[in-house]
Formats: sequence, structure tokens, C-alpha cells
Amino acid sequence: MISVNALSVSLGGRRVLEDVSFALGAGGFAALTGPNGAGKSTALKALAGVAPVEAGRIEIGGAPAASLNALARARQVAWLAQARPVAWNLRVEDVVSLGRFAEAPEAYDRMGKEGRAAVDGALAKADAAHLAGRAFQALSGGEQARVHLARLLASPAPCLLLDEPCAALDIAHQLSLMETLAAEAASGRAVLVVLHDLELAARFCQRVLVMDAGRLVADGAPGEALSSEVLGRVFGVQRSAGRQLIRGPR
Amino acid sequence: MSRLTWILGLISAALFAVSALAGTAPVSLGESLAALAGQGEAATRTIVWEIRLPRAAAAFAVGAALGLAGAGLQGLLQNPLAEPGVLGVSAFSALGAVVAIFFGLAAVSSFAVPVAAILGAGVATVLLAAAAMRGAGSVTLLLIGIGLSSFAGALMSLALNLAPNPYSLADLVNWMMGSVANRSWADIMLAAPALAIGAALVLASGPGLRALSLGDETAASLGADPKRTRLLVIGGTSLLAGASVATAGTIGFVGIVAPHVMRPFVGHDPQRLLVPSALFAGIVLLVADIAIRVLPFQQELKLGVAAALVGGPVFIWIAARMGRSRS
Repeated sequence: MISVNALSVSLGGRRVLEDVSFALGAGGFAALTGPNGAGKSTALKALAGVAPVEAGRIEIGGAPAASLNALARARQVAWLAQARPVAWNLRVEDVVSLGRFAEAPEAYDRMGKEGRAAVDGALAKADAAHLAGRAFQALSGGEQARVHLARLLASPAPCLLLDEPCAALDIAHQLSLMETLAAEAASGRAVLVVLHDLELAARFCQRVLVMDAGRLVADGAPGEALSSEVLGRVFGVQRSAGRQLIRGPR
Repeated sequence: MSRLTWILGLISAALFAVSALAGTAPVSLGESLAALAGQGEAATRTIVWEIRLPRAAAAFAVGAALGLAGAGLQGLLQNPLAEPGVLGVSAFSALGAVVAIFFGLAAVSSFAVPVAAILGAGVATVLLAAAAMRGAGSVTLLLIGIGLSSFAGALMSLALNLAPNPYSLADLVNWMMGSVANRSWADIMLAAPALAIGAALVLASGPGLRALSLGDETAASLGADPKRTRLLVIGGTSLLAGASVATAGTIGFVGIVAPHVMRPFVGHDPQRLLVPSALFAGIVLLVADIAIRVLPFQQELKLGVAAALVGGPVFIWIAARMGRSRS
């Protein structure tokens, strides 16, 4: 579905991604983790087409990403950014309908049946159906996060990229988010999610990618990618006798 | 078309009819109605068809152009205080007109002033478009607009200082205050192409404006083209502003107030805001122009002055509310 080969990205003259390679197929559900500033968000941005690729190659759906225009790319990849500004006090369903912009750039009440059904279904999957009709800026932070998630799920793109989708969500909604994403992956989408919660990553994802200082330093099943060696070296933490993560020697 | 658009359209049509009946000429209501239907005395028909209706059409067209330009720019800059005036397009347009008057070009051809006004708006457009092409964000564009406005204002003051005779000074003042009195169908036809193209460009930016609500990066990832949207809005609003200044001089605040009033009715959606804002601003100027004609002042109040008298306080009120909600 997506493959990244020797990707390097510089922002503001600084190398933030260095020689990153991985691939994620349809049905794959992978967590991308690493300390702050490791380059996780930049990696997602490069895949979404909003960060400049300095060197290397990205392929989306078998085609070189550079050959896709913005619309073609948006039909393949949906991206939930870490920063999610909403400039106007839009209606919830209009925010969600933007997820289908590449299909038809219509507001909710001008959408066809199919579009509306996709928006309604996505709101339900994100546990936000009851928010339809509300004004976005009157929602709580967690409710806004779920509406953004619904916007992502409303897109028919076969590849979903999520940057810290758990932020602002309570624990129950974090768990239901991960279940929803697992179901999306099971239905054939490729899902790549940036997570800081290693427990969640290990529990729900088939695969964990660990980045550090712009490089991909581990990639494999959770037990392997989050080994105590990686935890100590990359995150500076270790497992206590009670299996809890505690700060350790780096 | 939405129900809101229909309602605003019907109100506009009704006001056009009222506009044909209102004026200082001693013509009775019945005579005016007959003339509107193409009957009655030739003199009355001339008053209704060649004086009142073109004037009403000019007021509506200028209002609609400013309302559409304001809604487009607000959507683009994501700032409810934006309008052509903020980007310096109106100021440069007025500067073009003032230069034409100052150098006596107005006496050479009646088209000199309108063309100069559109050219002035064009100069500001090219500068803004160049900045937008190089990826300037909304804040940068606003800052450039402030610079353009101040610069054009200084040059206009200079023109006022150097005005060779009091007649041209009176002309300048007339121009800068804004009015649609004595506009003919020819004046309107001259502005019509620029208005039509400008409106088409701004309306085409609509979906992109809604996508931009989520920020440039997310909009781009959705398949929208922020750069194209920016160019559409800047090009379109420049044409709209240039043509409206050419028709009526500078009229402020309508472009800010109309989108602000309409926004709650369209779910704050920057795309669905465009047409209602245009219609509402057209209605505002139609009403203001009818009021000016009916108000018993010895010298007719200027339309721009009337608009500012109402729009200025509303502008300050919006700004104060913005400040409160942000702090």
C-alpha cells in the first residue's frame, strides 16, 4: 500500500528524517513511536504530501508519490495532523464532510446519498453521532478530537495516517479508538498511527516502528520492537519488577 | 439555491422596485409605477429608467461586489475583519482614480477614471499575487495590505496637497467619499465585465475556502490547493474592488458587516457564506441609497459616508467582541 525507501527530509535547513525505509501493506496496523523530536510527525507529513521530500522515494498504491497530484494522493492517503485548527465555528457534519473533499468538495447538506452515509457512518464509528448538528467550537477538546477522527474515517482512502489521535481522549475513548482502527485495518485499510502510549501500541498493533533522532531504529512485532534494549536506549526507560515502565539509565 | 438565497433575492427585487419610486423629482407614486411598466410620460420614464434604476443597479452591484469580496477575503485570511480595504486593494484603486483626476485625464475621456481605478486595483493585486505565489501566509498578506493602504493613503494626500485647482479637489473628495448619484447604464456596463469575472473567480474558490478552515497543511492533504485558492480570491476580489471603486468611489465597512451578519445563517461555512453576503451587502447599499434620497438634507449625503456612519460602529463592535472571545 505505502512504501518508503531511504527517505530523507530537511526542515529549515535541519535534517529531521534520515534514510527511513519501511512498507505497510493493506490490512496492516502499525504504531509509530519514539521520543519527542524523533521525526514521527514529519514522516507522516511526508507520506501525506505536505513535507518536502529531500531524498528517497515514496510509493503509494504502487505509484511513485511524486507522480500523483494532490487530489490523486488525497484519494489514497488520509492524514490526521497533530495540530488541528478549525478557523470557523463550522457545523460538525461539515467538518467531517471535508474528509471526502477529494471525492466531492461539498458541504454536508449538498452531498449525495453516498457521501452523507459515509459521514454518518464515520461519526458513529468515532462515537460522535450525537454531536451532529452542533457547532464545532462549542465542543470539548475530546469531542473535537472525535469529530476529527470521524473526518478521517469518512474518507474512502485505503491508507490512514494518524498523528497522536489519543491526545485529549479519555481512557475509554482511547480504547475504542484503537478498536476502531483495528477494525479499519481488518477491513483492508493500511493504518499507521503515531502513539506515545507504548502499552496501547503493544496491545493493539501488529507492528511497532520506533524512531529516534530522525532514523528508524526498530521495526517489528511489539515484543521485538519494544524490547528492553530499545526501551533503554531510545526512551531511557526500563521495566520494573511490576512490569511498569520506569525511568532508567539511558 | 438555498432558501436564504431566495429570500435575499426577493428582498433585492422588491427594493429595486421601491428604488424606482423614491427620489427628489416631483413624480407621484402612480406615475412612477406606470413609467416602471413602460407607460406614461416620456420625462417620467426617463427619470425612472435612466436616473433611478441605474443608480439603484449601481448601488446593488457595488454592494454585492464588496460583500462578495469581503466574504472571500475573510474566508481566505480567516479573519472576520478582512475586506478589500484591509488588503490595500481599495486604496490602490482609489489612488488610480485620484491620479487620473490629478493629471487631468478625467477631462480627456470619461473612461479614464474607471480604467485607472481598475488598474490601481490591478497593481495591488499583482503585488499580493506575487507574495501569494511565493507562499506568503495570511498574516503576511494582511501586513502587505496594511503597507499598501498606508502608502496609497500617503500618495492620495500628496495628490490632495498638489491639486492645482479647487475643482479637482472637490472631485477628489467626491471620489473618496463614495457615491452612486448620477450613474448611468454606461457606467455600469463598463464595470460589468470586471464584476462578472471577479465574482466567478471568488465563487470558484468556495470549496477551497472551506478546506482551508482546517489549516493549509490539512487542506493540502485533503486534495485542496491552498495556493490556487489564494490566487482565486486575491484575483477575484481585486477585480471586484477595482470595479466597485470605479463605479462608486471607496465605500467601506459593507464588505465586513455583510459576511458577519450572514455567517450564523450558513453554519459559519465560508463557501455558503459567499452568495448571501453579496446579496445582503447589495441590499444594505440599496437601502442606504434609498434613505439618502429620501432624507431631507439640503445637499445629498454621500453613500460612503452613510455606509461608514453605520458600518464604523459595527466594525468596532465586532473587533471588541473578537478581543473578548480570544482573551
